[in-house]
Amino acid sequence: MSDRPKPYQLLPWIIPAALMMAWWMAGRNGWIPEYLLPHPGDVGKSGYVYIFGPAGSGPYAGRFAADAAASLLRVVIGFSLAAAVGVPLGILSGRLDGMEKLLSLSVNGIRAVPGVCWLPLSLVWFGIGMKTTVFLVSLAAFFPIYLNAAAGARAVPPMLLQAGAMMGVGRIRGTFAILIPGAMNHLMTGLRLGLGISWAYLVLGELTGVPSGLGAVIMDARMSGQIDVIIVGIALIALFGQSSDYLLRCLLRMLFKSARRTP
Amino acid sequence: MSTRLKLISTRPAPNAEPVGVLDVQGLSKIFRVNQSPFHALENISFQAQTGELICVLGPSGCGKTTLLKILSGFIPPSAGHITLNGLPVFRPGPDRCVVFQEDALFPWLTVAENISFGLKGRGLGRQFLRQETERFLSLVNLEAFGDYLPREISGGMKQRVALARVLILNPMVLLMDEPFAALDAQTREEMQTFLLSLWGKLSHTILFVTHDVTEAVTLADRILVMDKNPGRIRHDIPLTLKRPRMRESDAFHHQCKHLFALLRTEKAG
Repeated sequence: MSDRPKPYQLLPWIIPAALMMAWWMAGRNGWIPEYLLPHPGDVGKSGYVYIFGPAGSGPYAGRFAADAAASLLRVVIGFSLAAAVGVPLGILSGRLDGMEKLLSLSVNGIRAVPGVCWLPLSLVWFGIGMKTTVFLVSLAAFFPIYLNAAAGARAVPPMLLQAGAMMGVGRIRGTFAILIPGAMNHLMTGLRLGLGISWAYLVLGELTGVPSGLGAVIMDARMSGQIDVIIVGIALIALFGQSSDYLLRCLLRMLFKSARRTP
Repeated sequence: MSTRLKLISTRPAPNAEPVGVLDVQGLSKIFRVNQSPFHALENISFQAQTGELICVLGPSGCGKTTLLKILSGFIPPSAGHITLNGLPVFRPGPDRCVVFQEDALFPWLTVAENISFGLKGRGLGRQFLRQETERFLSLVNLEAFGDYLPREISGGMKQRVALARVLILNPMVLLMDEPFAALDAQTREEMQTFLLSLWGKLSHTILFVTHDVTEAVTLADRILVMDKNPGRIRHDIPLTLKRPRMRESDAFHHQCKHLFALLRTEKAG
């Protein structure tokens, strides 16, 4: 890739640049009214005030750190729960027919229900706030993690497991030294998909009227008609989602040889 | 180096009456194919003596690999029994190590880590583990490649790693399932010579499955010629050719011709 000519490397940026340009033009020439789509410069200013401004310098100034921390905490807890349940169950049902039989009907049944449907019920069960959001996040993140772990465990070449068996490797070591590394590609895919979905459901949980969080800011800004802040919120969630994906990959590479050395 | 390898062997002292280290009696395997039974193996019996290199030779589909899988404990026989030094065999274990035909190294471990894999988790000291790994790395002439990943080395090197990782466990029997079949002709010959030199040093009991007559004549003390449908042992031929064997010699050619003829009659009958 890197030895390709320069224009080729610019390829991914053409569409974002064109969109930014169109937005700029639209704002400048008044093609779209301000209350629907504010000028990018205004959005930039609001973003700066929201993130760096001292409390009181703007309607949302000074609360960024608290919002980000609240959202991050909800995603981390929800995602960790999903991973802690999804990875072991997935690996078990990928290797054991009994486990697969036991789980597949229920898992697929629940998976068929769109995650949004759980919102009313979880509001009744857990109330508005942390618990509902964590519940939605972990429920939604569970499925890609579980399904990919199961597919990964199924796809480990039998030859590798046989090689382990003939070298006298027992079940426990076989699981940690052969099965999990052998399924690492799938496990990583599942975890990354799960983390992506976590951010989506975080916003859903936070739209219900919680006091803090990036989703809460978006919802709040809609009610007060501050489109610029909504756009800032969306951009921040995109940024957080991207960075958390990158961090997750780094973390897995740090922890597992198989993640580092899988091409 | 070689003496120490022999000393840590767990084999019992040879009795007055030679008893096969590996004793196979009346082994049969019946698979069910489309509701009808298929005799993959029928009444296979033989004994392997300590330090013997036996080749199992036969056309594809004669059940050679099935036989090896049963001996290694991956699949159960339909009838018959196997004993190793008098103890029954019923599951995979490090006393009967396998070198597979395909690449069965762990792709996420380096060459050195692959070699020490079997010894890990046995409560051995770190220092000892490292020494053993070094020793077996040099035994297969891969000292310089300890930190390479399997995908970074050649096919012949991979099979040498596969050998080292099982030899380090000091198995009583080495089961080899066409280990050099996927290599190019020149590398295959090199690997055969290499295996013989290792065998000269360590004198393991080896059961080597192959469909290549020249390979069998190059390696074996004894050749079991198999027949297919049903798979059974048709001939048990001791090879008296002197070692080192010269592929160009008349005696070698004669032996090969004889085996080719046997295999042809098998096909005709």
